[in-house]
Amino acid sequence: MGLQQKGGGALRAWAALCLLALAALPVQAQRTLTVAAFPSVDEIIRAAAPAWKALHPDVQLKVVSRQFADHHTAMTTALSTASNLPDVMALEVGYVGRFAQGGGLDDLSAPPFGLKSEAKRYVPFALAQGSNRHGAVVAAPTDIGPGTLLYRADLLARSGLAEAELTQSWGSYVAAGLKIKAATGAYLMAHARDMKDIVIRTGLRPGEGLYFDGESRVLVSSPRFVRAFELAREVRRQKLDARVIAWSNEWAEGFKRGTIATQMSGAWLAGHLNHWLAPSTAGAWRAAQLPEGAFVAYGGTFLAVPRGVPPAQKALAWDLIRLLTLERGMQLAAFKAQDAFPALLETFEDPFFGQPIAFLGGQPARLLWRDAARRIQAVAVHKQDAFADEVINTELDKVLDRGKDIHVALADAERLLQRRAHR
Amino acid sequence: MHAERLSRLSAHLLVALGALIMLAPFYFMFVFATHSRTEIFSLPPPLFFGDDFANNLAILTDKLPFWRNLGWSLYVALASTLLTLLFCSMGGYAFAMFEFRYKNALFALVMATMLLPSFMNMIPTFMIMDLLGWIDQPRALYIPGAASAFGIFLMRQYVAASVPRDLLEAARMDGCSEFGIYARIVLPLLKPALGTLGLITFIASWNNFIGPLVVMRSPEMYTLPLALRSLQSPVNTEWGALMAASAIATLPLLLLFMVSSRQLIAGLTAGAVK
Amino acid sequence: MSRWPMPSGCCSAARTAEVPTMSAVPQPLGPQAHGASPRRVGWRLPRAWVPYVLLSPFLLLFAVFGVFPLVFSLWLAFQSWEPTSGLASMRFVGLENFVFALQDEWFWKSLGNTGWLALVSGVPQHLVAIPLACFIHAALRRSRNAMVGAYFVPYITSTVAIAILFSSLFSTDYGLINAALGVLLPGDPVDWLNDPQRIKPAIALIVFWRYVGFNLVLYLAALQTIPKDLYEAAKMDGASQLQQFFYITLPSLKPMIFFGVTLSVIGGLQLFEEPFILTGGRGGSDQAGMTTAIYLYRMAFDFNDFGAASAMSWLLFVLVVALTWLTHRAFNPRRKAD
Repeated sequence: MGLQQKGGGALRAWAALCLLALAALPVQAQRTLTVAAFPSVDEIIRAAAPAWKALHPDVQLKVVSRQFADHHTAMTTALSTASNLPDVMALEVGYVGRFAQGGGLDDLSAPPFGLKSEAKRYVPFALAQGSNRHGAVVAAPTDIGPGTLLYRADLLARSGLAEAELTQSWGSYVAAGLKIKAATGAYLMAHARDMKDIVIRTGLRPGEGLYFDGESRVLVSSPRFVRAFELAREVRRQKLDARVIAWSNEWAEGFKRGTIATQMSGAWLAGHLNHWLAPSTAGAWRAAQLPEGAFVAYGGTFLAVPRGVPPAQKALAWDLIRLLTLERGMQLAAFKAQDAFPALLETFEDPFFGQPIAFLGGQPARLLWRDAARRIQAVAVHKQDAFADEVINTELDKVLDRGKDIHVALADAERLLQRRAHR
Repeated sequence: MHAERLSRLSAHLLVALGALIMLAPFYFMFVFATHSRTEIFSLPPPLFFGDDFANNLAILTDKLPFWRNLGWSLYVALASTLLTLLFCSMGGYAFAMFEFRYKNALFALVMATMLLPSFMNMIPTFMIMDLLGWIDQPRALYIPGAASAFGIFLMRQYVAASVPRDLLEAARMDGCSEFGIYARIVLPLLKPALGTLGLITFIASWNNFIGPLVVMRSPEMYTLPLALRSLQSPVNTEWGALMAASAIATLPLLLLFMVSSRQLIAGLTAGAVK
Repeated sequence: MSRWPMPSGCCSAARTAEVPTMSAVPQPLGPQAHGASPRRVGWRLPRAWVPYVLLSPFLLLFAVFGVFPLVFSLWLAFQSWEPTSGLASMRFVGLENFVFALQDEWFWKSLGNTGWLALVSGVPQHLVAIPLACFIHAALRRSRNAMVGAYFVPYITSTVAIAILFSSLFSTDYGLINAALGVLLPGDPVDWLNDPQRIKPAIALIVFWRYVGFNLVLYLAALQTIPKDLYEAAKMDGASQLQQFFYITLPSLKPMIFFGVTLSVIGGLQLFEEPFILTGGRGGSDQAGMTTAIYLYRMAFDFNDFGAASAMSWLLFVLVVALTWLTHRAFNPRRKAD
């Protein structure tokens, strides 16, 4: 009996203590900020978690990562029903145009967002890429991909060529390719299509998109397309391309074995070559600007806020976007960790840009890429750009593989595009 | 006599060779699972097992809640299979053994859904899931699939072929309740078909990625195919880890097939032998 | 006398295996007035309700998850819709999407591709599976399950793995397929993945690899139901192996062939996964590997034109129904099947 009482007393005391403890616990509603992204942008956002915590200790950062295409499909689905939207979504440049035309994304230069006052801090062409026809900035750039020409300096030396001969003009580039082939047996480029891709992006008139202009008129018969096709055909005729598609096994192998002498791509390719594509070739590569003064962007990531997000979350969303895109420290950290070239102009003064890159034989190539970034022109996007891309690639293949006449090919392409220009 | 033996032997060899060719890619999947990314992506590809499996597993579990995803895949596949077996056997029995209004029109409608590509359903399915509040919940994956057109088709064919009406009449006259007839007479007779449908449903649910893509929002809730795909990026895929994950993901299916192959062979008969 | 044993435990434990005939005193349905049934359910469901009750779970799910998307898709086929603008931005355009689809070069090209692939990947599946099934049925005893399992394994391999594996195997310069071919037929290595003429056979090969085991299992199962006495009798009459095959085996397999071919027709016309993974979701050079299903997917998610995609999917639907019906007629020319 006595024991029971003692036990009962202890129990009561313990219960009281528990209740006190519970009462003392602060009752907090855990707020979350959901960000949808894809590899490797998700790493960049996760790396910002400590900084975010310092800014908003009571808001948890949740990153939902999906495979690249799956992510954009999921975003399309969410936007289509305006439900289950993330608070912030990452978008790659290829998709920004489509999503921007839609009207499902909020204008970041209008209240409650504060982009308007900060707009000048971004690299101009990137900001333009994130804006739509009506001047609304629907996506803030977080990284860019300045185009560069990566070439094997050792192969160039063996052919007795100087870098200037590669980059002076497209004609001299092809001529250099002939010399490289004769001296070393290596191909100038991976695929003649790479040539076409760059040349069609040069010589755009203001207001023109790549394939369509502001009034949805088809532009594929313009001189830049003809020139692009002619150059590509010349490359193929002289057997200067390895006929391998980017990201295929043969392409990677071409780098490993030194059978591909140059590659035009985004600056980030150097990092990939170094990490896993062809690490054994470190030191043999150099970077140069694209031939004939072409300045083109390859890739780029943006952050957007869907329209359907509740107002309370919008303020937090903008805070995150500001943290990731307008903070010098964060942009540089992403650059160093994930090779994400900053879209914030003021980072360009950082000494990191002047540092030598071991893979490129000690060349401080980031200075080169910084210059390029400043000079890239924005290109207007059109809803049918993805389709036009396919059509032009198909016609090019016919010209290259089956000897189709260039003007007939471009006329066919124009016909196909005209049917869809206004859909 | 000699020629006959020779032709027999060559037939055996041919079939065995065919089997090897069938298995070859599968073998390579396991080989690739034990190599690093650079080795896989090189040419010629590795032919024999390497030593990077542990490393690949480490990368895998670092990037994904892999075991959790595996668990969800298992849970969803099992639930999907059980529900599908239940609903489709009931439905197939109804279509095969009863007459009721609109029976043929209804069946035609059900068959019609088999004829449209499933990804066209993505957005309407998403709308429904959102309305029901099932986003990010596993039930959004296994409940809709229970109304499987293929399942009800198979069941109907099998019931029509294997369950004699007189047996049912006799049972009714004995005073058996309708549900009792279903549970005690029809279901046992359906065992091979249930085994077949169960296997096919399990495989389909296990490999399905469009469903989870539409409804899952958190990586911890992903099933395996979606999780594996999230490892892929155009420029930065961890191929070694991906192959290791694919290899592990195939093992339960292999196990299941070995267990139920007898049922499968028996069960697929009846749909046609009518 | 029924050949089906009366399952024990249901209602009348007292009854034997004899199935009583209908010629006995007609019993009213519903609660038994008399009888030795030990287990009697109190409330009986009216007979007429039973099918509906049995079907109701299925129908409920079907109505929500099957019919609604169907109706939505049909509705969408008459709208112009760019999905990222939200639902409200749908615009009614009548038959415009259908007209566009029927005049679209790529749509017809994709139908051609689909037809070719369906035939070239589908027919060999059955041509190989039937003799293979006969052989395994006749010649293999102990190794039967292992052999069938080996052929069935491709069916369960995941598409992610298949994508990587076959991109590697079909690689032009260093892939194992070209290596094997190089040993047998010397010549230039075949560019499977990039040459428009070659991507189709590559896809057909993968589809064949994936599904031949499935068909093998179907035919093996059907073979097991053919009574052996038929073969005995034929052998005694002096029929050769080949004659036995053509006059006994094939006709007996006809229902299963019909089932298998129907599945192949439907599956072939909706071919999506294998070409998708081999061409990276794009349909290949010159759209040579673009089946209609892939074109639909691209219309919807790459070109953001959901209205046209829906219209095309319904046109494909009409085609599939028509071909399925034709298959049905081809196999059952005189009598109407159920």
